[in-house]
Amino acid sequence: MSAAQNRLTQVSGHLAGSKSTIAATKGDSSSARANLLQKNPDDVVVTACLRTAFTKGGKGGFKDTAAADLLAGAFKSLIERSKIDPALVEDIAVGSVLPPGGGATEFRAAALVAGFPVSAAVKSLNRQCSSGLQACVDIANAISTGMIEVGVGAGVESMSLQYGPGAVTEFSELLESHPESRNCKVPMGVLSEKMAKDRGVSRKLQDEFAASSYQKAIKAQEAGLFDEEIAPLTVKWEDPKTGDVKEITVSKDDGVRPGITAESLGKIKPAFAKDGSIHAGNASQISDGAAAVLLMKRSTAERLGQTILGKYVAASVVGVAPLLMGIGPWAAIPKVFAKAGINKDDVDIFEINEAFASQCVWCANELGLDQKKINPKGGAIAFGHPLGCTGARQVSTLLYELRRRGEKVGVTSMCVGTGMGMAAVWVAE
Amino acid sequence: MEFVTTGYSGYSVKYSPFVNDRLAVATSANFGLVGNGRLYILGLTAHGIVLAKQYDTQDAIYDTAWSELNENQVVAGCGDGSVKLFDLTTGNNSPVQNWREHAREVYATSWNLVTKDTIATSSWDGTIKLWSPERPSSLLTLPTHSCTYSAAFSPHSPSIISSATSDSHIRVFDLRTPASASNHLVQLIPIHGAAPVPGSTFVANRPPPTQPAEALTHDWNKYRDTVIAVAGVDTVIRTFDLRNPRQPMVQLRGHEYAVRRLAWSPHVSDCLISGSYDMSVKLWTDGTVAGSYGAHPNLRSPRELGSMEAHTEFACGVDWCLFGAEGWVASTSWDSRVLVWDVRSVMRPHSYSQN
Repeated sequence: MSAAQNRLTQVSGHLAGSKSTIAATKGDSSSARANLLQKNPDDVVVTACLRTAFTKGGKGGFKDTAAADLLAGAFKSLIERSKIDPALVEDIAVGSVLPPGGGATEFRAAALVAGFPVSAAVKSLNRQCSSGLQACVDIANAISTGMIEVGVGAGVESMSLQYGPGAVTEFSELLESHPESRNCKVPMGVLSEKMAKDRGVSRKLQDEFAASSYQKAIKAQEAGLFDEEIAPLTVKWEDPKTGDVKEITVSKDDGVRPGITAESLGKIKPAFAKDGSIHAGNASQISDGAAAVLLMKRSTAERLGQTILGKYVAASVVGVAPLLMGIGPWAAIPKVFAKAGINKDDVDIFEINEAFASQCVWCANELGLDQKKINPKGGAIAFGHPLGCTGARQVSTLLYELRRRGEKVGVTSMCVGTGMGMAAVWVAE
Repeated sequence: MEFVTTGYSGYSVKYSPFVNDRLAVATSANFGLVGNGRLYILGLTAHGIVLAKQYDTQDAIYDTAWSELNENQVVAGCGDGSVKLFDLTTGNNSPVQNWREHAREVYATSWNLVTKDTIATSSWDGTIKLWSPERPSSLLTLPTHSCTYSAAFSPHSPSIISSATSDSHIRVFDLRTPASASNHLVQLIPIHGAAPVPGSTFVANRPPPTQPAEALTHDWNKYRDTVIAVAGVDTVIRTFDLRNPRQPMVQLRGHEYAVRRLAWSPHVSDCLISGSYDMSVKLWTDGTVAGSYGAHPNLRSPRELGSMEAHTEFACGVDWCLFGAEGWVASTSWDSRVLVWDVRSVMRPHSYSQN
């Protein structure tokens, strides 16, 4: 960073600190938005982001590919695409939910095989469905505090190989003795069914939302709107009919299907209760996939000649009652707005994870969000939710779409099992 | 009265301590972000303000201080980290001393008011340095470990130096203490946040990083030797008594943006002026003297007495004239103007009525 830039940042800091017009006041959010769009040398920026395709758990293209292999594929593509010298990457955080031991060992190995030198540190982390976002936020925070200069936030999940009852340890008597504590292990489907009933989210509303997710996704896929974010990956795949193992290149989400309407979804039997409203068609798909985001300060990016796709602004995390985990985004989004000093009108696109149509549509309606701004290319209902990967996936989905439309401000958010929510504000450039 | 420093943004203005008609003004091209600096020496005459001399430097000049010993010497703190001592009697434009020790922007210069033989400077490099006009290198370095926007000698003691830093602390150094690991630091006063625990003065009690807290300026009261006023990014001017610095004595609110510089009056013990990024220069009383400047004799409240709004950019430099009528001040701003005015012209009627 040049001396002039340093001085400018320092003086802007004097101004931005004052609580007067810089902070968002009612009716004057546009100045907050303008403030958000400013470019400062110490911004944490994204210079590359991508994901693998998402494929159906148990039958899709990645059904025989280990999570670490998916991750290594995403890393390799990230290095190729960004042309970053891998030796400059100081830390890599990988969000993942299901692997035993958190995946710490195999993710470190995946980084090495992808071409990162031994000097690049790796950690795995697990905040359930927001792990991928938490990984990006951890790296952004480490960069802004000066702990590292360049880092990668990532997420990966092989639900084909690692999804199952083994993912949760038996609860002890102590945990069972406390009502809220006991609620932490209630299966997602069961509690979402209850929440949908309690909050009056009708089957019809859910099916309409789910059908529109499918319709948006197929339209986006046909228009090639996922091509920028998806890095094709060649893997081995066993044909279940013949038992032959062959090499295939996966470059498309295989969960996206044409011809789905609210009426066609209306015929599916509910999955968790006879009189219930949630079924395979209006809940997120079980999938495999990986995503990665390269982060650094703007000053570093400029020095290295990296292309800046967008910047990270702020993130929030909240806790809610375990049985109401679906309301997480409803609690997390206003909190991140307060941090960034903006309101919902300043945001161009919301990427809110569709764990269940019921919770996503409830949060959106409760916050009064414009339907057109939510998941414009569809969401997890249409193309899948590989748990730990989703948060990192949303960064790619969001930034490329904002850039394509010439829009700026985006929010990514999701509900988190055991009762939490996360949200983050991003700006495309 | 007005003087235009065309093309150069004002950062600091100082009255000569020897004569009542001379000003030094520290200015910088391009708002001090990049480019040259220029030190103006101005004369106040019956025909307005006239240029007496100017010194150009390679990098911005952020602060200046007159020698208390030699009426023709003036020191300048520069953006490239250099500290330059100019002598008005030499024919050429080069400084008589050019100290290059600070690693980053020098933001404050202060001349010892008692022994008059040392200069203190502070820098973004996190240090305060002491200099003698006679010596080619610094006498002493005091670390603050934090971007130090302001440093000043106590007007009451030759060995006490204070600073205001971006970590939201006032530091007081006493050079009479033995050299030790504490580097002469005798008080560390958190401007925001909890009071220090007696006996453990050196544990920094930092405010949460999200809170706007950088301190940009401070000054010693000229009459009460334990009182310091400090202000910065959070727009509030606070006064502290060093004998009991657990909390501010007074908080003066009114500026809309960060306060860039403040100065206590040399004439009355309760008044100070402040220049701010909100472009105003405001006059305040800390409420310790009843009836000052003609306020109602029974009205003893800390408050704003008046506001001068003629500047059209950040007001960065303010200073009081030591001589003549009590109200003369000079101010300078990024609007490239030096204004000389009487604070009584901007005071509100009710605070002036009894004068």
